[in-house]
Amino acid sequence: MKSRSRWLRDVRNDLGLRLIAATALLLYVIFIVVPVLMSLHSSFTDENPLQSGSNFIGLANYRTMVHDGELHATVLYTLALALAVTVVANVVGIAFAVLLNRSKLSYRVLRTVAFLPQVVSGVIVGFVWKTILTEDGLLNNALTRLHLVKEPVDWLGTPHMAQLSVGIVVAWVLSGFTTVVYLAALQNIPPELYDASSIDGATSRQQFRMITLRLVAPATTISVTISLITVLKLYDVITVLTSGGPANATESTAQYIVKLAFTSDRFGYASAVAMGLLLLSAVIALSVTSFLRRREIDL
Amino acid sequence: MTTAQTSPPAVARPALAAGRAPHRRAPRVPGTARLIAAILVILAFVSPIYLTVVNAFKPERDIVSDPAAPPIHPTLSNLSTALSRPDHLLQLGLRNSVITVVCSVLLLIPLGSAFSFYISRRRTRLRAAILALLAAGLMIPPQVVLLPTIHILTLAGLDHTYLGLILSNVGGGYLSFAVFVYVGFMRAIPEEIVEAARIDGAGGLRIWWKIIMPLVRPATATVAIFLSLWIWNDFLNPLFILGPLQGQTITTGLYLSVGQFQMNYGQLFGIMFLAGVIPVAGYLVMQKQFIAGLTAGSTK
Repeated sequence: MKSRSRWLRDVRNDLGLRLIAATALLLYVIFIVVPVLMSLHSSFTDENPLQSGSNFIGLANYRTMVHDGELHATVLYTLALALAVTVVANVVGIAFAVLLNRSKLSYRVLRTVAFLPQVVSGVIVGFVWKTILTEDGLLNNALTRLHLVKEPVDWLGTPHMAQLSVGIVVAWVLSGFTTVVYLAALQNIPPELYDASSIDGATSRQQFRMITLRLVAPATTISVTISLITVLKLYDVITVLTSGGPANATESTAQYIVKLAFTSDRFGYASAVAMGLLLLSAVIALSVTSFLRRREIDL
Repeated sequence: MTTAQTSPPAVARPALAAGRAPHRRAPRVPGTARLIAAILVILAFVSPIYLTVVNAFKPERDIVSDPAAPPIHPTLSNLSTALSRPDHLLQLGLRNSVITVVCSVLLLIPLGSAFSFYISRRRTRLRAAILALLAAGLMIPPQVVLLPTIHILTLAGLDHTYLGLILSNVGGGYLSFAVFVYVGFMRAIPEEIVEAARIDGAGGLRIWWKIIMPLVRPATATVAIFLSLWIWNDFLNPLFILGPLQGQTITTGLYLSVGQFQMNYGQLFGIMFLAGVIPVAGYLVMQKQFIAGLTAGSTK
């Protein structure tokens, strides 16, 4: 009798926990799983908000993607941006981490400051950099006053310059993050390794290549993967900085999807492109992670 | 940033600030020279933030004549102009952002941690399957789920509402992040603690709230800090889920009104300073937990 009442109480009490857990899972299903399936479904239709129903059109949207020049341009730019930004942000991150890896208070303050670009929202980052980079902006103001350039440089006005400028701004945002990740990794390297290699006569360049770079490999995996995914999702910074212009030169695939859905009202096609971006992100994230994981070594 | 937690820590490591002393090496560069170099490099790196801060307190004339100079004639007029705008951009935006962040995070923490506790006591295969499903949430670009999410909210009559925005935050990729952080911590809690409480007659809900939650406080700190920052800085979801008519969070408000017309430097920097000062102040106050949370996941 007693064990029965205990059993009942257990079930009742576990029910509360089960209910909360189920709520969480249900919300996840409603706002992630179902939307992905809905996107997949509408990628096979001609859905748009101006007509009431939608027709199943098979793979027509995916065939359109093959000949969509604007899509190809955005994918190419997004991939180039992801690659360039990832390389730059990780090189800067390691360099800053090595520079700041001292325990004195002054260095700790500098570490705190270096992370700031990650804290400020992409919208603010976009506006502040825009103020700096526009043709009559603060950078040209300084450059012309110092007589470093004769004519103001149009950092955001010509396609190539704008592509470069967006890259610099995004790399700037991510460098704050990579610095902190690499700093943490550096602090986990046993100092004895450096002492021992010094005794063996290693130069500091050899130490950097043979010890530092190898032992921060797990941080590299995290930092590279996150840099890539961040650029693939990127929306706010580019939207504020260039709105994808000039002449769509800085339009990312993520922006193109939003434009197709909300400006062109092509829901079906936007969904097909979104499926493409999802596949691309998954392939890149999984392959890069497994490639980098294999290069990690254990202590 | 979210995938930082795919390999969660067994326990939080004390990171940077409290971390191990860095290695000693025969100094090849004198200490002062190195420090000066470090200061110059980092100052150059954060110069856009420096420009925003100093120019928010300078009269327009001084900004144009030398943007990089410190405020020699300090003024609060840029800030008061920003705060006395007829559209109350900052007051309304900050209020709406606070509401969205607080409600979302207050829901995400209990849901995420109870869910994590529940599945961390399940069979491994079920757990692995559910965690894999949740891991996808960290990787899915928000643009992929945006349109269907709006459809679903419209069906429920929640489109263009804060409740709709908050629910989509709670069910979205943020939940995945919370679960990954919590599961990592909860795996490290010995089974005996849970068993002992069960024998004493405590039910699952009680064990979770009274015993587990206090033990995973560092995880809660990490989850609360990062989710607050990300939801605060989120742009895409509020822009399209709330739409232009429903009042704005601080990010969409800035975008929709500052982008509209020309304003002078002083006004712009004043607005940017006030819009950015809350998360930055939060970061400076809690930087230890911030960096511990960030690095815990990346240096297993």
